[in-house]
Amino acid sequence: MLQLKNISVRFGGLTAVNNVTLAVGTQDVVGLVGPNGAGKTTLFNAISGLVRPTSGQITFDGADVMRAPMYKRARMGIGRTFQVPQPMHELTVRQNLTVAQRFGTGSVDQNKIDEILEFTSLAEKATRNAATELALTELKALEVAKALATNPKLLLLDEVFAGLETTGKRHFMSMLKNLHEKFSVGIIIIEHDIETISNLCQRVAVLNFGELIAEGTPEEVFRDPAVIKSYTGGGHA
Amino acid sequence: MKPNKTIIVMLLAVYIAVPLAFGRDNYVMSLVVASMVIGGIALSWALLGNLGGMVSFGHAAFFGVGAYASAILSMKFGVPVLVSILLGGVGAVVASLAMLPVLRLRGPYFALAILAYAHIFRILATQWTSVTGGSGGLSNIPRLPEIFGYDLSSKTGGYLVILTIVLVFAAIYQYIRCSNYGLALRAMHESEDATRVVGVNSTLLKGLMLLVSAFMCGVVGAFNAHYINFLEPDYAFSGLWVTIPIVAAIFGGYRTITGPIVGAVVVYLVDQLVFKSIIPSGHQLVLGVLLVAMIIFSPDGLLSLLRKLTRRAHVAA
Repeated sequence: MLQLKNISVRFGGLTAVNNVTLAVGTQDVVGLVGPNGAGKTTLFNAISGLVRPTSGQITFDGADVMRAPMYKRARMGIGRTFQVPQPMHELTVRQNLTVAQRFGTGSVDQNKIDEILEFTSLAEKATRNAATELALTELKALEVAKALATNPKLLLLDEVFAGLETTGKRHFMSMLKNLHEKFSVGIIIIEHDIETISNLCQRVAVLNFGELIAEGTPEEVFRDPAVIKSYTGGGHA
Repeated sequence: MKPNKTIIVMLLAVYIAVPLAFGRDNYVMSLVVASMVIGGIALSWALLGNLGGMVSFGHAAFFGVGAYASAILSMKFGVPVLVSILLGGVGAVVASLAMLPVLRLRGPYFALAILAYAHIFRILATQWTSVTGGSGGLSNIPRLPEIFGYDLSSKTGGYLVILTIVLVFAAIYQYIRCSNYGLALRAMHESEDATRVVGVNSTLLKGLMLLVSAFMCGVVGAFNAHYINFLEPDYAFSGLWVTIPIVAAIFGGYRTITGPIVGAVVVYLVDQLVFKSIIPSGHQLVLGVLLVAMIIFSPDGLLSLLRKLTRRAHVAA
Protein backbone atom coordinates (compact mmCIF):
# COMPACT_ATOMS: atom_id res chain seq x y z
CA MET A 1 0.00 0.00 0.00
CA LEU A 2 2.64 2.54 1.09
CA GLN A 3 6.05 2.43 -0.55
CA LEU A 4 8.88 4.70 0.52
CA LYS A 5 11.91 4.61 -1.74
CA ASN A 6 15.17 6.34 -0.76
CA ILE A 7 13.37 9.13 1.06
CA SER A 8 15.58 11.96 2.29
CA VAL A 9 14.47 15.14 4.01
CA ARG A 10 17.00 17.93 4.48
CA PHE A 11 16.48 21.22 6.26
CA GLY A 12 19.35 23.38 5.09
CA GLY A 13 22.47 21.53 6.17
CA LEU A 14 20.64 19.15 8.47
CA THR A 15 19.61 15.77 7.16
CA ALA A 16 16.57 14.74 9.21
CA VAL A 17 15.73 11.63 7.19
CA ASN A 18 18.39 9.91 5.13
CA ASN A 19 17.66 7.48 2.34
CA VAL A 20 14.84 5.55 4.00
CA THR A 21 13.16 2.72 2.12
CA LEU A 22 10.13 1.11 3.71
CA ALA A 23 6.96 -0.69 2.63
CA VAL A 24 3.77 -0.97 4.66
CA GLY A 25 0.74 -3.07 3.71
CA THR A 26 -2.91 -2.98 4.72
CA GLN A 27 -2.35 -5.84 7.14
CA ASP A 28 0.70 -4.32 8.83
CA VAL A 29 1.12 -2.79 12.23
CA VAL A 30 4.61 -1.34 12.13
CA GLY A 31 6.43 0.24 15.05
CA LEU A 32 8.73 3.14 14.24
CA VAL A 33 11.28 3.60 16.99
CA GLY A 34 14.49 5.47 17.59
CA PRO A 35 16.03 8.04 19.93
CA ASN A 36 14.85 11.65 20.05
CA GLY A 37 15.72 13.54 16.90
CA ALA A 38 16.09 10.36 14.86
CA GLY A 39 13.67 11.68 12.25
CA LYS A 40 10.56 9.67 13.10
CA THR A 41 8.11 12.55 13.09
CA THR A 42 9.81 14.07 10.05
CA LEU A 43 9.22 10.80 8.23
CA PHE A 44 5.54 11.01 9.21
CA ASN A 45 5.46 14.58 7.96
CA ALA A 46 6.90 13.43 4.65
CA ILE A 47 4.34 10.62 4.31
CA SER A 48 1.38 12.80 5.24
CA GLY A 49 2.51 15.72 3.11
CA LEU A 50 3.36 18.29 5.75
CA VAL A 51 6.93 18.48 4.42
CA ARG A 52 8.17 17.64 0.97
CA PRO A 53 11.10 15.22 0.85
CA THR A 54 14.28 16.51 -0.75
CA SER A 55 14.59 13.32 -2.76
CA GLY A 56 13.09 9.88 -3.09
CA GLN A 57 9.77 8.44 -4.06
CA ILE A 58 6.49 7.91 -2.18
CA THR A 59 3.75 5.81 -3.70
CA PHE A 60 0.43 5.07 -2.07
CA ASP A 61 -1.87 2.45 -3.57
CA GLY A 62 0.28 2.55 -6.68
CA ALA A 63 -0.03 6.33 -7.17
CA ASP A 64 2.91 8.71 -6.89
CA VAL A 65 2.02 11.09 -4.05
CA MET A 66 5.34 12.95 -3.75
CA ARG A 67 3.79 16.18 -4.96
CA ALA A 68 0.27 15.69 -3.62
CA PRO A 69 -0.72 18.24 -0.95
CA MET A 70 -1.65 17.08 2.52
CA TYR A 71 -5.43 17.33 2.01
CA LYS A 72 -5.26 15.11 -1.08
CA ARG A 73 -3.24 12.47 0.71
CA ALA A 74 -5.81 12.54 3.50
CA ARG A 75 -8.57 11.92 0.96
CA MET A 76 -6.57 9.08 -0.58
CA GLY A 77 -6.49 7.35 2.78
CA ILE A 78 -3.45 8.53 4.70
CA GLY A 79 -4.61 9.51 8.18
CA ARG A 80 -2.36 10.74 10.96
CA THR A 81 -2.34 12.02 14.50
CA PHE A 82 -0.07 14.71 15.88
CA GLN A 83 2.10 14.23 18.93
CA VAL A 84 0.82 17.54 20.26
CA PRO A 85 -2.94 17.15 19.74
CA GLN A 86 -4.38 19.47 17.12
CA PRO A 87 -8.10 19.68 17.78
CA MET A 88 -10.10 21.88 15.44
CA HIS A 89 -10.68 25.01 17.46
CA GLU A 90 -14.13 26.47 18.08
CA LEU A 91 -15.81 23.17 17.18
CA THR A 92 -17.34 20.46 19.32
CA VAL A 93 -15.97 16.94 19.34
CA ARG A 94 -18.75 15.77 17.03
CA GLN A 95 -18.20 18.70 14.68
CA ASN A 96 -14.50 17.80 14.56
CA LEU A 97 -15.44 14.36 13.29
CA THR A 98 -18.08 15.75 10.94
CA VAL A 99 -15.55 18.01 9.24
CA ALA A 100 -13.03 15.18 9.06
CA GLN A 101 -15.59 12.86 7.52
CA ARG A 102 -17.11 15.41 5.15
CA PHE A 103 -13.80 16.50 3.72
CA GLY A 104 -11.90 13.24 4.10
CA THR A 105 -14.54 11.01 2.50
CA GLY A 106 -16.87 13.43 0.72
CA SER A 107 -20.01 12.61 2.70
CA VAL A 108 -21.27 12.55 6.28
CA ASP A 109 -22.58 9.42 7.97
CA GLN A 110 -23.71 10.11 11.55
CA ASN A 111 -23.88 6.38 12.37
CA LYS A 112 -20.24 5.97 11.51
CA ILE A 113 -19.40 9.02 13.62
CA ASP A 114 -21.31 7.53 16.54
CA GLU A 115 -19.42 4.29 16.10
CA ILE A 116 -16.08 6.11 16.16
CA LEU A 117 -17.12 8.20 19.18
CA GLU A 118 -18.07 4.98 20.97
CA PHE A 119 -14.86 3.25 20.00
CA THR A 120 -12.66 6.10 21.19
CA SER A 121 -14.75 6.57 24.40
CA LEU A 122 -15.67 10.11 23.39
CA ALA A 123 -19.42 9.58 23.09
CA GLU A 124 -20.15 11.42 26.32
CA LYS A 125 -17.97 14.34 25.27
CA ALA A 126 -19.52 14.71 21.82
CA THR A 127 -20.97 18.15 22.48
CA ARG A 128 -17.96 19.52 24.31
CA ASN A 129 -15.69 22.15 22.80
CA ALA A 130 -12.77 20.15 21.47
CA ALA A 131 -10.06 22.72 22.09
CA THR A 132 -10.99 23.91 25.57
CA GLU A 133 -13.01 21.25 27.36
CA LEU A 134 -11.06 18.02 26.94
CA ALA A 135 -8.43 16.37 29.12
CA LEU A 136 -5.19 15.21 27.54
CA THR A 137 -6.30 11.57 27.23
CA GLU A 138 -9.45 12.73 25.47
CA LEU A 139 -7.51 15.03 23.17
CA LYS A 140 -5.30 12.12 22.20
CA ALA A 141 -8.38 9.98 21.61
CA LEU A 142 -9.83 12.76 19.47
CA GLU A 143 -6.69 12.73 17.33
CA VAL A 144 -7.31 9.06 16.60
CA ALA A 145 -11.05 9.62 16.14
CA LYS A 146 -10.55 12.44 13.63
CA ALA A 147 -8.15 10.35 11.63
CA LEU A 148 -10.58 7.39 11.68
CA ALA A 149 -13.41 9.63 10.48
CA THR A 150 -11.54 10.19 7.21
CA ASN A 151 -11.83 6.45 6.60
CA PRO A 152 -8.08 5.89 6.27
CA LYS A 153 -6.31 2.90 4.78
CA LEU A 154 -3.13 3.82 6.59
CA LEU A 155 -2.96 5.41 10.00
CA LEU A 156 0.15 7.20 11.28
CA LEU A 157 0.09 7.38 15.07
CA ASP A 158 2.64 9.79 16.52
CA GLU A 159 3.36 9.02 20.20
CA VAL A 160 -0.23 8.60 21.24
CA PHE A 161 0.90 7.38 24.67
CA ALA A 162 3.22 10.27 25.48
CA GLY A 163 2.16 12.23 28.53
CA LEU A 164 -0.60 9.83 29.58
CA GLU A 165 -0.88 8.35 33.08
CA THR A 166 -1.13 4.61 33.59
CA THR A 167 -4.90 4.26 33.32
CA GLY A 168 -4.99 6.35 30.17
CA LYS A 169 -2.17 4.26 28.71
CA ARG A 170 -3.90 0.97 29.46
CA HIS A 171 -7.11 2.30 27.99
CA PHE A 172 -5.37 3.41 24.82
CA MET A 173 -3.58 0.13 24.54
CA SER A 174 -6.80 -1.86 24.41
CA MET A 175 -8.22 0.59 21.91
CA LEU A 176 -5.23 0.35 19.60
CA LYS A 177 -5.23 -3.42 19.78
CA ASN A 178 -8.72 -3.46 18.25
CA LEU A 179 -8.16 -0.58 15.88
CA HIS A 180 -6.32 -2.52 13.20
CA GLU A 181 -8.98 -5.20 12.85
CA LYS A 182 -12.12 -3.19 13.47
CA PHE A 183 -11.30 -0.52 10.91
CA SER A 184 -9.12 -2.73 8.66
CA VAL A 185 -6.41 -0.13 8.56
CA GLY A 186 -2.64 -0.45 8.24
CA ILE A 187 -0.79 1.31 11.06
CA ILE A 188 2.60 2.86 11.62
CA ILE A 189 3.11 3.84 15.22
CA ILE A 190 5.87 5.98 16.70
CA GLU A 191 6.54 4.99 20.27
CA HIS A 192 9.49 5.07 22.66
CA ASP A 193 8.37 2.33 24.98
CA ILE A 194 9.73 -1.00 23.76
CA GLU A 195 7.19 -3.03 25.68
CA THR A 196 4.30 -1.17 24.08
CA ILE A 197 5.81 -1.67 20.65
CA SER A 198 6.44 -5.40 21.21
CA ASN A 199 2.88 -5.72 22.40
CA LEU A 200 1.27 -4.03 19.42
CA CYS A 201 3.44 -4.55 16.38
CA GLN A 202 4.46 -7.50 14.22
CA ARG A 203 7.21 -5.45 12.67
CA VAL A 204 9.56 -2.74 13.89
CA ALA A 205 11.67 -0.22 11.99
CA VAL A 206 14.46 1.61 13.81
CA LEU A 207 15.63 5.07 12.84
CA ASN A 208 18.86 6.61 14.08
CA PHE A 209 20.19 9.96 12.84
CA GLY A 210 17.67 9.78 10.04
CA GLU A 211 18.79 6.37 8.80
CA LEU A 212 16.93 3.11 8.94
CA ILE A 213 19.33 0.94 10.91
CA ALA A 214 17.18 -2.14 11.48
CA GLU A 215 13.89 -3.70 10.46
CA GLY A 216 12.22 -6.94 11.49
CA THR A 217 10.12 -8.57 14.21
CA PRO A 218 10.35 -6.93 17.65
CA GLU A 219 12.40 -9.91 18.97
CA GLU A 220 14.97 -9.65 16.19
CA VAL A 221 15.24 -5.90 16.23
CA PHE A 222 15.57 -5.37 19.95
CA ARG A 223 18.34 -8.00 20.09
CA ASP A 224 20.32 -6.21 17.38
CA PRO A 225 23.51 -4.69 18.91
CA ALA A 226 23.30 -1.60 16.69
CA VAL A 227 19.80 -0.92 17.96
CA ILE A 228 20.77 -1.43 21.59
CA LYS A 229 23.69 0.94 21.10
CA SER A 230 21.47 3.64 19.59
CA TYR A 231 18.93 3.21 22.37
CA THR A 232 20.93 4.75 25.18
CA GLY A 233 18.00 4.80 27.58
CA GLY A 234 16.49 1.45 26.67
CA GLY A 235 19.27 -0.88 27.83
CA HIS A 236 17.03 -3.69 29.01
CA ALA A 237 16.60 -4.95 25.48
CA MET B 1 -41.51 34.86 21.52
CA LYS B 2 -40.09 32.25 19.19
CA PRO B 3 -37.04 33.29 17.19
CA ASN B 4 -38.88 33.17 13.84
CA LYS B 5 -41.58 35.41 15.23
CA THR B 6 -38.87 37.84 16.29
CA ILE B 7 -37.51 37.75 12.77
CA ILE B 8 -40.94 38.45 11.25
CA VAL B 9 -41.50 41.41 13.57
CA MET B 10 -38.03 42.75 12.74
CA LEU B 11 -38.66 42.37 9.02
CA LEU B 12 -41.99 44.18 9.27
CA ALA B 13 -40.27 46.94 11.20
CA VAL B 14 -37.43 47.46 8.72
CA TYR B 15 -39.58 47.06 5.60
CA ILE B 16 -42.66 49.01 6.69
CA ALA B 17 -42.05 51.01 9.85
CA VAL B 18 -38.81 52.65 8.72
CA PRO B 19 -40.22 53.97 5.40
CA LEU B 20 -43.40 55.10 7.15
CA ALA B 21 -41.48 56.89 9.87
CA PHE B 22 -38.74 58.54 7.79
CA GLY B 23 -39.96 58.21 4.19
CA ARG B 24 -40.94 61.87 3.94
CA ASP B 25 -37.62 63.14 5.19
CA ASN B 26 -35.28 62.80 2.20
CA TYR B 27 -32.24 63.78 4.23
CA VAL B 28 -32.71 61.14 6.92
CA MET B 29 -33.68 58.54 4.32
CA SER B 30 -30.53 59.22 2.30
CA LEU B 31 -28.47 58.81 5.47
CA VAL B 32 -30.24 55.52 6.17
CA VAL B 33 -29.49 54.27 2.65
CA ALA B 34 -25.84 55.33 2.97
CA SER B 35 -25.62 53.50 6.29
CA MET B 36 -27.05 50.35 4.69
CA VAL B 37 -24.49 50.59 1.89
CA ILE B 38 -21.79 50.69 4.52
CA GLY B 39 -23.55 47.85 6.33
CA GLY B 40 -23.42 45.77 3.15
CA ILE B 41 -19.69 46.34 2.74
CA ALA B 42 -19.15 45.71 6.44
CA LEU B 43 -21.02 42.41 6.15
CA SER B 44 -18.94 41.26 3.17
CA TRP B 45 -15.76 42.34 4.95
CA ALA B 46 -16.76 40.52 8.12
CA LEU B 47 -17.59 37.36 6.17
CA LEU B 48 -14.04 37.27 4.82
CA GLY B 49 -12.61 38.07 8.25
CA ASN B 50 -14.77 35.70 10.23
CA LEU B 51 -14.99 32.74 7.89
CA GLY B 52 -11.84 33.23 5.85
CA GLY B 53 -9.65 34.56 8.66
CA MET B 54 -8.41 37.38 6.47
CA VAL B 55 -8.22 41.08 7.24
CA SER B 56 -8.79 42.92 4.00
CA PHE B 57 -8.00 46.55 3.29
CA GLY B 58 -8.86 45.95 -0.33
CA HIS B 59 -12.63 46.00 -0.29
CA ALA B 60 -12.71 49.49 -1.78
CA ALA B 61 -11.51 47.79 -4.97
CA PHE B 62 -14.46 45.37 -5.05
CA PHE B 63 -16.82 48.22 -4.29
CA GLY B 64 -15.36 50.37 -7.07
CA VAL B 65 -15.10 47.58 -9.65
CA GLY B 66 -18.69 46.53 -8.96
CA ALA B 67 -19.82 50.13 -9.36
CA TYR B 68 -17.93 50.69 -12.59
CA ALA B 69 -18.81 47.32 -14.10
CA SER B 70 -22.50 47.80 -13.50
CA ALA B 71 -22.50 51.43 -14.65
CA ILE B 72 -20.65 50.63 -17.87
CA LEU B 73 -22.78 47.57 -18.64
CA SER B 74 -26.00 49.49 -18.23
CA MET B 75 -24.79 52.64 -20.03
CA LYS B 76 -22.89 51.18 -22.97
CA PHE B 77 -24.55 47.81 -23.42
CA GLY B 78 -28.07 48.60 -22.31
CA VAL B 79 -28.16 45.87 -19.67
CA PRO B 80 -31.22 46.31 -17.38
CA VAL B 81 -30.13 47.92 -14.11
CA LEU B 82 -31.21 45.15 -11.76
CA VAL B 83 -29.29 42.62 -13.88
CA SER B 84 -26.23 44.82 -14.23
CA ILE B 85 -26.09 45.23 -10.44
CA LEU B 86 -25.68 41.47 -10.12
CA LEU B 87 -23.14 41.51 -12.95
CA GLY B 88 -21.30 44.23 -11.02
CA GLY B 89 -20.87 41.60 -8.34
CA VAL B 90 -19.51 39.22 -10.97
CA GLY B 91 -17.10 41.96 -12.07
CA ALA B 92 -15.83 42.24 -8.51
CA VAL B 93 -15.38 38.45 -8.45
CA VAL B 94 -13.26 38.68 -11.60
CA ALA B 95 -11.21 41.44 -9.94
CA SER B 96 -10.76 39.26 -6.87
CA LEU B 97 -9.37 36.43 -9.01
CA ALA B 98 -6.33 38.64 -9.51
CA MET B 99 -5.93 38.63 -5.74
CA LEU B 100 -5.95 34.85 -5.32
CA PRO B 101 -2.14 34.59 -5.38
CA VAL B 102 -1.91 36.66 -2.18
CA LEU B 103 -4.08 34.16 -0.28
CA ARG B 104 -0.95 32.25 0.57
CA LEU B 105 0.25 35.22 2.58
CA ARG B 106 -0.79 35.57 6.18
CA GLY B 107 -1.74 38.34 8.58
CA PRO B 108 -0.16 41.72 7.89
CA TYR B 109 1.43 40.54 4.63
CA PHE B 110 -1.96 39.61 3.23
CA ALA B 111 -3.42 42.93 4.38
CA LEU B 112 -0.64 44.92 2.69
CA ALA B 113 -0.70 42.91 -0.53
CA ILE B 114 -4.46 43.25 -0.95
CA LEU B 115 -4.18 46.98 -0.27
CA ALA B 116 -1.65 47.27 -3.08
CA TYR B 117 -3.83 45.18 -5.39
CA ALA B 118 -6.76 47.43 -4.65
CA HIS B 119 -4.81 50.43 -5.80
CA ILE B 120 -4.28 48.87 -9.23
CA PHE B 121 -7.99 49.11 -9.96
CA ARG B 122 -8.17 52.73 -8.99
CA ILE B 123 -5.34 53.49 -11.42
CA LEU B 124 -7.13 51.47 -14.11
CA ALA B 125 -10.32 53.45 -13.60
CA THR B 126 -8.40 56.72 -13.84
CA GLN B 127 -6.27 55.84 -16.88
CA TRP B 128 -8.62 53.76 -19.01
CA THR B 129 -10.39 56.89 -20.18
CA SER B 130 -12.21 55.41 -23.17
CA VAL B 131 -14.17 53.02 -20.98
CA THR B 132 -14.33 54.64 -17.58
CA GLY B 133 -14.38 58.29 -18.52
CA GLY B 134 -11.08 58.74 -16.65
CA SER B 135 -10.85 61.09 -13.72
CA GLY B 136 -13.85 63.01 -15.05
CA GLY B 137 -15.96 60.00 -14.15
CA LEU B 138 -19.30 58.80 -15.43
CA SER B 139 -22.47 60.77 -15.06
CA ASN B 140 -26.09 60.01 -15.93
CA ILE B 141 -25.74 56.42 -14.84
CA PRO B 142 -29.19 54.82 -15.29
CA ARG B 143 -31.38 54.99 -12.22
CA LEU B 144 -33.03 52.10 -10.48
CA PRO B 145 -36.14 51.14 -12.48
CA GLU B 146 -39.82 51.16 -11.71
CA ILE B 147 -41.25 47.84 -10.66
CA PHE B 148 -45.02 47.20 -10.56
CA GLY B 149 -45.50 50.93 -10.79
CA TYR B 150 -43.26 51.56 -7.79
CA ASP B 151 -40.32 53.86 -8.42
CA LEU B 152 -37.21 52.25 -6.94
CA SER B 153 -35.13 55.32 -7.76
CA SER B 154 -36.77 57.28 -4.94
CA LYS B 155 -35.01 57.40 -1.58
CA THR B 156 -37.46 54.93 -0.09
CA GLY B 157 -37.21 52.70 -3.18
CA GLY B 158 -33.43 52.71 -2.89
CA TYR B 159 -33.78 51.86 0.77
CA LEU B 160 -35.96 48.84 0.00
CA VAL B 161 -33.49 47.59 -2.63
CA ILE B 162 -30.36 47.91 -0.49
CA LEU B 163 -32.23 46.48 2.50
CA THR B 164 -33.19 43.43 0.45
CA ILE B 165 -29.65 43.03 -0.85
CA VAL B 166 -28.18 43.19 2.65
CA LEU B 167 -30.74 40.79 4.12
CA VAL B 168 -30.24 38.25 1.31
CA PHE B 169 -26.49 38.45 1.85
CA ALA B 170 -26.97 37.99 5.59
CA ALA B 171 -29.03 34.85 4.84
CA ILE B 172 -26.31 33.53 2.50
CA TYR B 173 -23.68 34.25 5.14
CA GLN B 174 -25.74 32.39 7.73
CA TYR B 175 -26.20 29.45 5.37
CA ILE B 176 -22.47 29.17 4.68
CA ARG B 177 -21.63 29.50 8.36
CA CYS B 178 -23.93 26.65 9.34
CA SER B 179 -22.77 24.34 6.58
CA ASN B 180 -19.91 21.87 6.88
CA TYR B 181 -17.84 24.34 4.91
CA GLY B 182 -18.56 26.88 7.61
CA LEU B 183 -17.40 24.47 10.29
CA ALA B 184 -14.16 23.82 8.45
CA LEU B 185 -13.63 27.53 7.88
CA ARG B 186 -14.19 28.33 11.54
CA ALA B 187 -11.70 25.67 12.52
CA MET B 188 -9.10 26.86 10.04
CA HIS B 189 -8.19 30.11 11.84
CA GLU B 190 -6.52 28.55 14.82
CA SER B 191 -5.79 25.11 13.50
CA GLU B 192 -5.11 25.06 9.80
CA ASP B 193 -2.93 21.93 9.85
CA ALA B 194 -5.61 20.09 11.81
CA THR B 195 -8.09 20.74 9.02
CA ARG B 196 -5.73 20.01 6.14
CA VAL B 197 -4.73 16.68 7.63
CA VAL B 198 -8.33 15.48 7.47
CA GLY B 199 -8.73 16.47 3.84
CA VAL B 200 -9.76 20.13 3.90
CA ASN B 201 -8.37 22.10 0.97
CA SER B 202 -7.93 25.21 3.07
CA THR B 203 -6.53 27.41 0.29
CA LEU B 204 -9.55 26.63 -1.92
CA LEU B 205 -12.02 27.35 0.87
CA LYS B 206 -10.35 30.66 1.68
CA GLY B 207 -10.36 31.52 -2.01
CA LEU B 208 -14.08 30.77 -2.24
CA MET B 209 -14.74 33.08 0.70
CA LEU B 210 -12.78 35.82 -1.04
CA LEU B 211 -14.96 35.36 -4.13
CA VAL B 212 -18.20 35.40 -2.12
CA SER B 213 -17.07 38.46 -0.19
CA ALA B 214 -16.01 40.25 -3.38
CA PHE B 215 -19.35 39.45 -5.03
CA MET B 216 -21.31 40.90 -2.11
CA CYS B 217 -19.19 44.03 -1.96
CA GLY B 218 -19.38 44.47 -5.73
CA VAL B 219 -23.17 44.25 -5.73
CA VAL B 220 -23.35 46.90 -3.00
CA GLY B 221 -21.00 49.15 -5.00
CA ALA B 222 -23.12 48.61 -8.12
CA PHE B 223 -26.30 49.47 -6.24
CA ASN B 224 -24.69 52.64 -4.98
CA ALA B 225 -23.61 53.69 -8.49
CA HIS B 226 -27.19 53.50 -9.78
CA TYR B 227 -28.53 55.07 -6.64
CA ILE B 228 -26.37 58.20 -6.87
CA ASN B 229 -26.06 58.11 -10.71
CA PHE B 230 -22.48 59.35 -10.72
CA LEU B 231 -19.02 57.81 -10.41
CA GLU B 232 -15.46 59.01 -10.39
CA PRO B 233 -12.36 57.01 -9.47
CA ASP B 234 -11.51 58.97 -6.34
CA TYR B 235 -15.02 58.43 -5.05
CA ALA B 236 -15.61 54.81 -6.14
CA PHE B 237 -12.23 53.58 -4.91
CA SER B 238 -11.97 55.84 -1.88
CA GLY B 239 -10.29 54.28 1.13
CA LEU B 240 -13.31 55.34 3.16
CA TRP B 241 -15.26 52.49 1.56
CA VAL B 242 -13.12 50.11 3.52
CA THR B 243 -12.20 52.03 6.68
CA ILE B 244 -15.73 53.03 7.75
CA PRO B 245 -17.09 49.49 7.19
CA ILE B 246 -14.18 48.06 9.21
CA VAL B 247 -14.97 50.47 12.04
CA ALA B 248 -18.66 49.55 11.75
CA ALA B 249 -18.03 45.80 11.67
CA ILE B 250 -15.67 45.85 14.64
CA PHE B 251 -17.94 48.24 16.51
CA GLY B 252 -20.97 46.02 15.99
CA GLY B 253 -19.07 42.77 16.44
CA TYR B 254 -17.44 41.31 13.33
CA ARG B 255 -17.82 37.71 14.39
CA THR B 256 -21.60 37.93 14.26
CA ILE B 257 -23.84 38.40 11.24
CA THR B 258 -26.06 41.17 12.57
CA GLY B 259 -23.13 42.99 14.19
CA PRO B 260 -21.65 44.60 11.07
CA ILE B 261 -25.08 45.74 9.82
CA VAL B 262 -26.23 47.15 13.15
CA GLY B 263 -22.76 48.61 13.68
CA ALA B 264 -22.89 50.40 10.32
CA VAL B 265 -26.33 51.88 10.93
CA VAL B 266 -25.48 53.01 14.45
CA VAL B 267 -22.00 54.33 13.67
CA TYR B 268 -22.99 56.14 10.50
CA LEU B 269 -26.25 57.64 11.72
CA VAL B 270 -24.86 58.73 15.07
CA ASP B 271 -21.85 60.21 13.32
CA GLN B 272 -23.93 62.10 10.75
CA LEU B 273 -26.85 63.15 12.92
CA VAL B 274 -25.14 63.80 16.25
CA PHE B 275 -21.41 64.31 16.05
CA LYS B 276 -21.51 66.19 12.77
CA SER B 277 -23.84 68.80 14.25
CA ILE B 278 -21.67 69.17 17.33
CA ILE B 279 -18.28 69.12 15.59
CA PRO B 280 -18.82 70.05 11.92
CA SER B 281 -15.28 69.24 10.84
CA GLY B 282 -13.27 66.35 12.23
CA HIS B 283 -16.29 64.58 13.69
CA GLN B 284 -14.88 61.21 12.67
CA LEU B 285 -12.44 61.70 15.52
CA VAL B 286 -15.20 60.72 17.93
CA LEU B 287 -15.70 57.47 16.02
CA GLY B 288 -12.05 56.65 16.49
CA VAL B 289 -12.33 57.20 20.23
CA LEU B 290 -15.52 55.12 20.40
CA LEU B 291 -13.90 52.30 18.45
CA VAL B 292 -10.89 52.19 20.75
CA ALA B 293 -13.21 52.19 23.76
CA MET B 294 -15.25 49.36 22.27
CA ILE B 295 -12.16 47.25 21.56
CA ILE B 296 -10.98 47.75 25.14
CA PHE B 297 -14.28 47.23 26.96
CA SER B 298 -16.15 44.85 24.67
CA PRO B 299 -13.93 43.28 22.02
CA ASP B 300 -16.90 41.27 20.72
CA GLY B 301 -18.69 44.45 19.78
CA LEU B 302 -21.80 46.42 20.48
CA LEU B 303 -24.31 43.56 20.43
CA SER B 304 -22.45 41.51 23.01
CA LEU B 305 -22.06 44.66 25.12
CA LEU B 306 -25.83 45.24 25.00
CA ARG B 307 -26.45 41.59 25.89
CA LYS B 308 -24.14 41.91 28.89
CA LEU B 309 -25.84 45.11 30.04
CA THR B 310 -29.37 43.70 29.73
CA ARG B 311 -28.33 40.58 31.61
CA ARG B 312 -26.92 42.75 34.37
CA ALA B 313 -30.15 44.76 34.46
CA HIS B 314 -32.12 41.53 34.77
CA VAL B 315 -29.98 40.39 37.66
CA ALA B 316 -30.32 43.77 39.36
CA ALA B 317 -34.10 43.73 38.96
